Amino acid sequence: MSLSLAQWLLRLTLGAAAARVIIGDLAELLATRPHATRFAAGLWYWRQVLSCLSPRNALAIRRAAPPPPPRQRRRPMDTLFADLRYAVRVFRRAPGFAALVIVTMAGGIAATTIVYSAVDGMVLRPFPFAEPSRLVGVGTSYPAVGAELSFVEHLSPAEYLDAARATSLERIVAWDMGNRQVTVGENTENLFSGFWWGDPFPTLGVEPFQGRGFLPSELEAGERVAILSHRVWRNRFGADSALVGGQVLINGEPYRVVGIMAPRTLVYGMDLWIPMPASPEVFPRNRRQFQIIGRLAPGASLAQANAELAVIARQVENQYGAAFPEYAGWSFQALTWNDINVRAARPAAMIMLAAVAFVMLLVTTNVATLLLGRSSGRAREVAVRAALGAGKRRIFRQFLTESILLALTGAALGIGLGWWGIAALARTLEATPLPLAGQLAMNGQVLLVTTLAAVLAGLVFGTVPALQMLRSDPQRTLQGDSGGATVHGPRLRLQRTLVAVEAALAITLLAGGGYLLRSVAALQAVDPGFRPERVLTMRLSLARERYTRARVEPFFSTLRERVAALPGVDGVATVSQFPPNAFSRAEFRLDGGEPGGSDVRPAGFFTLASPDYFETIGIPLTAGRAFASTDRAETPPVGLINEEFRRRFFGATDPLGHRLQLGADGPAFEIVGVVGSARNRGIDRLPEPEVFASTLQADGINNQLFLIVRTRGEPRALVEGVRGVVRSIDPDQPVYAIRTIDEAVARSQFNRRFSATLLGGFALFALVLAAVGIYGVVGYATAQRTREVGVRMALGASRQSVAGLFVAQALVPVAVGVAAGLVAALGIGRAMESLLFEVRAGDPVTLVGAAVLLGGIGIAAAWLPARRASRLDPLRALRSEQG
Amino acid sequence: MTRGTFLGEFELLVLLAIAQLNDEGYGVTILEEIGERTGRRPSIGAVYATLARLESKGYVRSWLGPATGERGGRAKRHFALRPAGGRALESTRTTLERMWRGIPWKPRPEGA
Repeated sequence: MSLSLAQWLLRLTLGAAAARVIIGDLAELLATRPHATRFAAGLWYWRQVLSCLSPRNALAIRRAAPPPPPRQRRRPMDTLFADLRYAVRVFRRAPGFAALVIVTMAGGIAATTIVYSAVDGMVLRPFPFAEPSRLVGVGTSYPAVGAELSFVEHLSPAEYLDAARATSLERIVAWDMGNRQVTVGENTENLFSGFWWGDPFPTLGVEPFQGRGFLPSELEAGERVAILSHRVWRNRFGADSALVGGQVLINGEPYRVVGIMAPRTLVYGMDLWIPMPASPEVFPRNRRQFQIIGRLAPGASLAQANAELAVIARQVENQYGAAFPEYAGWSFQALTWNDINVRAARPAAMIMLAAVAFVMLLVTTNVATLLLGRSSGRAREVAVRAALGAGKRRIFRQFLTESILLALTGAALGIGLGWWGIAALARTLEATPLPLAGQLAMNGQVLLVTTLAAVLAGLVFGTVPALQMLRSDPQRTLQGDSGGATVHGPRLRLQRTLVAVEAALAITLLAGGGYLLRSVAALQAVDPGFRPERVLTMRLSLARERYTRARVEPFFSTLRERVAALPGVDGVATVSQFPPNAFSRAEFRLDGGEPGGSDVRPAGFFTLASPDYFETIGIPLTAGRAFASTDRAETPPVGLINEEFRRRFFGATDPLGHRLQLGADGPAFEIVGVVGSARNRGIDRLPEPEVFASTLQADGINNQLFLIVRTRGEPRALVEGVRGVVRSIDPDQPVYAIRTIDEAVARSQFNRRFSATLLGGFALFALVLAAVGIYGVVGYATAQRTREVGVRMALGASRQSVAGLFVAQALVPVAVGVAAGLVAALGIGRAMESLLFEVRAGDPVTLVGAAVLLGGIGIAAAWLPARRASRLDPLRALRSEQG
Repeated sequence: MTRGTFLGEFELLVLLAIAQLNDEGYGVTILEEIGERTGRRPSIGAVYATLARLESKGYVRSWLGPATGERGGRAKRHFALRPAGGRALESTRTTLERMWRGIPWKPRPEGA
């Protein structure tokens, strides 16, 4: 019962055009309606054909007007929907493949978007200030006294006026910083505050959020007007609009709030701005506790400004050098405000960007591998469709549609994931206060770029194989020549290359993550020189308006006594700074003059500490004695130095009994003891020289001190108890900066840990992607070589040797990739050196570990499909090309 | 009702199937639509003969679709209702309803 005979009869009776349509319908019906046997199918087919051939029907059909020819301009949407339906069907048949491509793509897009948005919002454009390239800070360095370039609390009002002479600076403002207690109704808050000379609003290029900025007259006269930050106004004063124009008490004095800053308008985190009440001329030329920010004049460059400032510095040196020796060789240095503030975060940020670029490359490679592997399995499908008359354009369009569908689904999921990730990250960062005013927001450009990249990769690697197949001869494919080298040889080579690339990228990321993880581990093993665990710290600033010098130490000693009496407290001290975040340095004179034989003046951290500080924080005494409660204002002043100070400035000499003078004309004291060196300016940095004086002998000079409480249990549990003690002494005295030393240590490690976590995550992702790629290639290779497996096994090869063969072959590109990746890992290690701690680029443990890990994963990923291939029944394998 | 617009039973089924399919009508779908809704399995010859008659009466129009792979590259002949076809369906329906009116449900055949 030949179907072609039936078809011939149809054509003969009805004419070619009508017959073609009916034969098409019948083909479709035959395909969709299952028939128990070929015979039943044939019978059904003939019955249908005969129904058309019956004279009555045949006449009617023949008489009908011929249908109009196919419209050349079909509605494109029809084809699109047909293609989409077909694509969905294709993916349903292989859901794992589609899911893998989509998830890979989504992961890559999300990771790239999150990281780039974070870097952009926090490092590249951290401030909302207008034209950030024109906003500059002006730092100073005084090499004659060993003062490095500094941009904080570094210059005097006179020097501000000097810098203001530079015409390339259109505007320049200076400010002092300090803490103020702001009382609104019942609510008293300690706010970090700035006191301005000059108007910060036009200089920064921001407008107030509510109310107004300062009036020139207010700045000129130093009037009592205040501007609050948006975050303080919102979070602590209930976003009350009535506050604007109303009165508040600042350190007990009435001020009028004239405005609220716009969100994110933060300069060093100052939440309160007030005009400086005194004019700059009243301060001595060496009162260096101010900082300046300026705006370059239109058209002026940073270099021009620096050249002009250099000239001014020389003039000042000539004029005042005799009276102020620090002016010898001193300099101004202008840098953009962004540079000043985010320099430190840049290496980490750049590493992150590089890592995420690697991830995106990896994702693209992986999608390519997956699509290539997939398309190879469809050569026969394409050949069948081509043989059945589907046009090449049509088939290409189908592949294009499938690729676009995959890519867009992946992109959509990636965008969603990105949103979610950025929101989650923003929440995490809110809980981890950073000194930046930066913000995390979805970056539209990067989203566009990554999405385009992923979609393009999907398109290219989804359609290139289709083009290849279409160029090949469908007949050969159909005849089972799928083992032929014409189509698949190059593709397998391409896939192997991609696997090598993936392995290289994965190794690089693994090594990068490994370096950082080892650095974090090394940091954890560091002996900080003190005991950071279970120490609660907080800061108190006694308002000068209410606390004269004489009242400062009595307040703090009462505080220490009462807090020590709280249950769960093991030790209490007050101190001006403590490790790992000491910040205040000073210069000293030894025994009333220059130290013998050295032209370096002793310098280091200068810390005021109460007698029990060393025991409380766990710094050991190594020589002499510690402070005693008997060291009072009336007794001879005493001081302590740390071992580092002794090593650097005394060498083998016994320091005990020598006299140190603070600065050129400060108080002098006798060194009575030496204490261990604590890591005072970061756990990851070696201790610096440090000098301690007793708060009992400091005459209340320092009205801002930290309270340090060593606890027996959870330190945070004592916060309320300590607050209660403070209230019992002075109900209006706020405490702030409440944290534990552990938290401070963690915060100082934030960059490194954050980078380690992120890179570790990327490395894991890379490992999974590489495993998937290797699995895919081996799976593809084994499928292509089923017949060969059959031959080998028929000839007596063992299953193990067959599986081993495939694994070994798969590992060649992996090995090539690992080798290339190790070279890249050396490079990336160098690039991230500033983030590393006691680990060097090319750290063998990291590199070997990464290589072993990837190798192991590679073997496992190759073994699975190889073993499956080796389990084949040789006979079936030999016949496989018919199936 | 004007003379000559009354539809034969099979013509009515085919026309209704086309109306149901709403632009998606061609040999296979029309056949399946009728099959699913009536349980009958009309032959493809009968369907195409009827379609030819309906087209010559101006009730439906047809056009060739694109060649598709599933059909071995053969085009579909699509069918859609013309306005006259819609009117014919409407008038057949009114005629039939008019004739049904007053007959109790489950009409009792004579002699039962």
